[in-house]
This record gives sequence, C-alpha cells and structure tokens, in this order.
Amino acid sequence: MKESSVPAAQVVGRYRVIPIIQEQAMANISTAKATPAIQHEVGLPGALVADWHDKAISRLGTLLKERRGLQVFMDSCTKCGACTDKCHYFLGTGDPLNMPVARQDLLRSVYRRHFTFAGKWFPKLVGARELDKPMLEDWYRYFHQCSECRRCTVFCPKGIDTSEVTMAGRDILASIGIGQQYSQEIIAKVNRVGNNLGMKKPALIDVLDNLAEDISDDTGLAIRIPLDDASADMLIVTPSADFFAEPHVDGLIGMIKVLHVAGIRYTFSSQASEAANFALFTGQRDQMQGIAQRISTAAQALGVSRIVMGECGHAWRVAYSFMDTLVGGFDYLDPEHPRPEHICELTYELLKAGRIQLDPTRNDGKVVTFHDSCNVARGSGMGGIRRGQFIVPRALLKASVPEIIEMSSDATMQKTFCCGGGGGLLTDDLMELRIKGALPRAQALQAVVDSHGVTHLVAICAICKTQLSQVLPHHNLGDVQVTSLHELVGNAIIL
Amino acid sequence: MFDLALALSYSLALVWLVGGCAYRVGIWLKARNSLPIPLTPAPRTRSGVVMRLCLELFAFRSLARADKTTWLASLLFHYGLLWLAIVHLRFVFTSLPTFLIPFIQYSGWATLCVIVGLSVLLLRRLLVDRVRYVSAPSDYLHLMLLISIAVSGALLKRVWPVNLFEVGEFLRGVFRVSWVPLPDHAGLVVHLLLVLVLLLVFPISKLLHGVGVIVSPTFNQRDRG
Repeated sequence: MKESSVPAAQVVGRYRVIPIIQEQAMANISTAKATPAIQHEVGLPGALVADWHDKAISRLGTLLKERRGLQVFMDSCTKCGACTDKCHYFLGTGDPLNMPVARQDLLRSVYRRHFTFAGKWFPKLVGARELDKPMLEDWYRYFHQCSECRRCTVFCPKGIDTSEVTMAGRDILASIGIGQQYSQEIIAKVNRVGNNLGMKKPALIDVLDNLAEDISDDTGLAIRIPLDDASADMLIVTPSADFFAEPHVDGLIGMIKVLHVAGIRYTFSSQASEAANFALFTGQRDQMQGIAQRISTAAQALGVSRIVMGECGHAWRVAYSFMDTLVGGFDYLDPEHPRPEHICELTYELLKAGRIQLDPTRNDGKVVTFHDSCNVARGSGMGGIRRGQFIVPRALLKASVPEIIEMSSDATMQKTFCCGGGGGLLTDDLMELRIKGALPRAQALQAVVDSHGVTHLVAICAICKTQLSQVLPHHNLGDVQVTSLHELVGNAIIL
Repeated sequence: MFDLALALSYSLALVWLVGGCAYRVGIWLKARNSLPIPLTPAPRTRSGVVMRLCLELFAFRSLARADKTTWLASLLFHYGLLWLAIVHLRFVFTSLPTFLIPFIQYSGWATLCVIVGLSVLLLRRLLVDRVRYVSAPSDYLHLMLLISIAVSGALLKRVWPVNLFEVGEFLRGVFRVSWVPLPDHAGLVVHLLLVLVLLLVFPISKLLHGVGVIVSPTFNQRDRG
C-alpha cells in the first residue's frame, strides 16, 4: 500500500474538489478471488468454467427477467453525467471506471451487444462491447470497487441504482466461477456455523458470559446474557463483530444495559448469531434467502414475539425491506411489532415510554457527530415515520450527549457518504481503495473537527465502525473516536 | 413519387414508434419485481409515490440535486420541446384552434430554449472530461439530431417560409394513410427527414428514458415499513 498516493483532505468552502479523471488509476487494485474450496462450498463452480462467455450472457438474461430494476436501468441511462462526481470511490481515486455511469456501462455495453437491436447491428455507434477476458477482469475489479451505497441514485434523474448493477455483475461472475474470497468465505461460514466469524456455540457462551461478568463488575448489577432461552419474548440479532471487535462491543454492552433496565426478557440465538447478510453484497438471492431464513427459523423455534436487529446497516436493509418477501410473513410476531425492529427503534420507544432514563451529562466533554450509514439512510426506514432513519438515531443521541454537531448537508442523511468499506469491501486486500474511498467522509469530518472540535464520530453499522476506525488515522483523523450509538446510550443510562 | 415514399415512411414510422415503445416498455413490465428497492426516504402512500414521480418527471428533482447547469439546460430543452410539440398540433386541424394561438405566438422563444438547452448539453458532453469519457457516438448524434431538427424548423418558420396549410394536408394524409403531395420545398424535406430519423431511433434508444423514470422501482415503490 502506497501511503503517498492517498490524497490529502482538501476542503474548499463546502465544495469538494472534483478530480480530473485518471484512467487506470485503480486498475491494479483487485480483491482476492475465491478459492475452489469456498466456491464449491457455496454451490458455485470452483474455477472459470469453459463456456464462461455463454454462461455469463445467459445468466445476465435470467437476471434481466428477474429484476425489473436492472432491466430498466440498462435501458434508461442517458449518460447525462449527473452521477459522475457523486461516488466516494471516484472522488477518492479519480479512476473514471469508478464513476457510477461508467461502472454500469461495464455491464450495459455487454447488455447492448447481446440484448438490443442497436447494439447487435451498430455496436461501435452505441458503445456496445463483447464480453471478453479483459472485460471480465474489469468487471471483477470495478464491481468490487463499489460499496453498493446508492448515493449516486439520489442524484440520478432516472432513479438508476448502481448497486443493482454491481450485484448483478458480481452474481454473474460468481456463477461462472469467479467469486470474491472475502464475501463467499463469510457466506460459507454463516451457513456452516451461524455467524460470519465462524464462532461455535461454546465460544459464544464464553463470550457472552465474560461480557456479562464485565458489565456486572462495572455496574454492580447482576447481569446475565441469555443464549437460546426459550422463555424469552425477544430475539436479539447483532452483527457478530459486536461480540469481539472494538468499538463495537461497547455498543453491545450499551444495548444489554438498555434491555436490562427495561426489564425485557430477551435472548441471543446460537443459530442466528449474525445479523449480517453478505449475500446482499454478492447479489446471490438464494443465499440471501437462506441467511435471512435462519433468523426467522430461530425466532420461531425460540417462540419469541419480537425480533430486534443490532447496529448493522445492511442487515437492517435486509430485515426492513427484504425479509418478508424473502422468508414469508411474520404471523408469529406480536401484531404490535409485526416486523423485525431496529435496536434504535426499541431504545427510542423505551425512552419515550419512560422505561429508561438517559442523562446526557454522563457524556460530558464529548462533542459528537453522526455518520448516517448508507443502507439505513437510503435502503430502509425507522420508527414508522418518514425520515425516521435520520430522526430516531439523532433523538437518541440528543438524549445521551450534551453536544451534537452535524456535518455538511451534502455528506449526511440521504446524501451521506459511504464509510468506504461497505458492500463486501471490508477486506485487507482492498485497503488502498478503502482509504481513498473514505476521503469525502474524512473531508466532512475534518470540517467539523476544525470548526467545533468534534471528538466522536457515531455510527450504527458494524462495517462503518471497523472501516472508519481503521482508515481515519490515514486521513490524520486518528484522534476522533469512532463510537457505537449504544455505547453513548449505555454511558448515559440511569441504572 | 418521393412524396409518396415519404408519406409511407411516416405512416410506417408512426407504427414503429408506437409498437417499438410498447415492446420496450412491455419488456420492462414483464420483468419480475422480485425485491422492493425504493430509494429511501420514500413516500409511504400511493399518492406520495405519484407526487414523487411528478416531481421527477416535471421538475427533474434528482437532477436539480446533482448539477444545476445540467438541470437548467434540460428543463429549457424539454419544456421548449413540449411547447413546440403543442405548436405542431396545428397540423392536425384544418382550421387553427384558438387555444394554439398563444403557443404559436411564443414559439420563437421555445425554439430558442430548445437550441440553447441542447447546446449546453452538447458543450457539457464535449468539455467536461467525466461526461466525455462516458459518451458514445450515439450520445452526440442524438443531441445533434435534435439540434438540427430545431434549427431546420426555425429556418422554415423565419427564413424560408413554407405553406403551412399544405404541410398540414400532407401530415393529415399520413394519419389517414392517404397520399397528399408535399409542398415543393427542400428545407421542409430536410426537416421532415430529420424528424423521421428521430421517430425511428426513439424506441430503440435511450430517448425512451421518460417512461423509464415511471417504471424505475427506486422511484415508484413505497416504503412499506
């Protein structure tokens, strides 16, 4: 990794500098391809199949019929250029293939060649291209330089969602034998063991017991963290990073404090010990369905009436937007809470009902800003109210900390910038991309650090937390603490 | 003979236009909507969705968020074109309906809007490195075709007048599939041929993007949470 190639944070007023395009700037960045063993484990060919070209085109044809969005997006782009300066990976790298429209065109040009009249007869005229080996490599490289954050969609006058194109591209690649090691290995592990970390039940019991002991020592309360408790009313599903990683685990502790104080009979599940669903990233709907099914099956087996998801962005999108379509209805849940809920919704509800009290002075000295996570901001909702995904977390923050500073409005809420590590890119072999992709977030953060002395960047997504705490030091923002929202809630809660 | 060929081409082009657009939109609608992908925050009600689509269709809201110059140029072009399309309704009627008079009165300004709007879009495509990078020859040709139609139309109106009643007779003939001779006017033939190309290209190109806005699930699905 070349540190010198990381652009310095530049802020000119509130306007970012749009880079001049630099062809091939990120052509050397490619994430590791899945090993044959992993590919086989997830039911995919181990290596590039012999008739890969025809298989790929036929898979594209299938996806076009199954995903209306993809089909419309292939046709409706006018190349107006509105999206070209909106992607954090383009802003951070200057590689033109990281402009959303250019990324889509990798697939669209092949689509035109094989599925449109103009592309079949006048390929040069309309920019139609054949799917050859170099194109295949570009697909693999640049569909793995998109975090599927949908920021470009906000600015697209046709509503084109690049994440649908990226997902289709990755699905096709995986189906002909070129999956991504990082995501496919995680999918294999969650199928095999129940969580992305591959943590088996005894290990999970250990972790939760230790955590309970720590909280008890800290607070003097008798805390027990139930696992697979059939007497529970509520299933809690968090990203497995919450069990280990910093700063995630402090957020989990905060959640447990909230549940304890409110007197909720909750349980974790060893079968569904993972909120994340990496099949969303790889575009594999069958895998996404299976991974989502685990949660529903566990909830029914435990006989709970509520499902609550922890702080995880894409898990929340799957739970909020896709789960009822993927795994059927939620008849078994409490009719008052007929769908999976977000931990922020639960905590907010408890706060409003007076079942928990928060004292913001316990976070004195902290100046916080909130990083909206892409899948929450643009792929889901919260609290049953319009813009709830922005309102609810901020209301919790307001009750928990003395001072909140908002970053620039073109870097928050619906226009929020991705942390740079979402969409299955949170892997070490993409570190250079991750650092560069965090540039717009770093610029927005730098501005509020300079103007208001912000000390904490708060997130409600495990990927955002890992990514930002790893890359912010590269942008000279290592002093800013990346923090779970529920860590601050946990500090402020009156026990 | 040429007149007949042109009239016949127009009749066929209209069939091609309607059939082609229906075919393409049919492909869109036949594709399954497997998972809901509204871009949130999304409207929670159907009327909210209609509102959202109207804002996108008539005010180009997302484009306004993205880039004000492109937005303004696009608005000028599209509304100018709509205005001129209404002006061309005069050829449907044998006597001029009064509601068209104000449209005809300001058609010069509309033409100017179209030409200025399209020129800005073309210049942007040529001068902004990012947009140039993603442009195929067809993207330039679409713009140049539209500019030539607008310019040739303006010339017919202002520099090289043509008998409008006779043009109307010819076009009404096209709709009735009965041949009426065209006024002997080379400029008119150029204008009509350019429009013919537009009609042919429309259903097999990106020009159908307006319908795409309505069919896009990110816009037309509601937040059901």
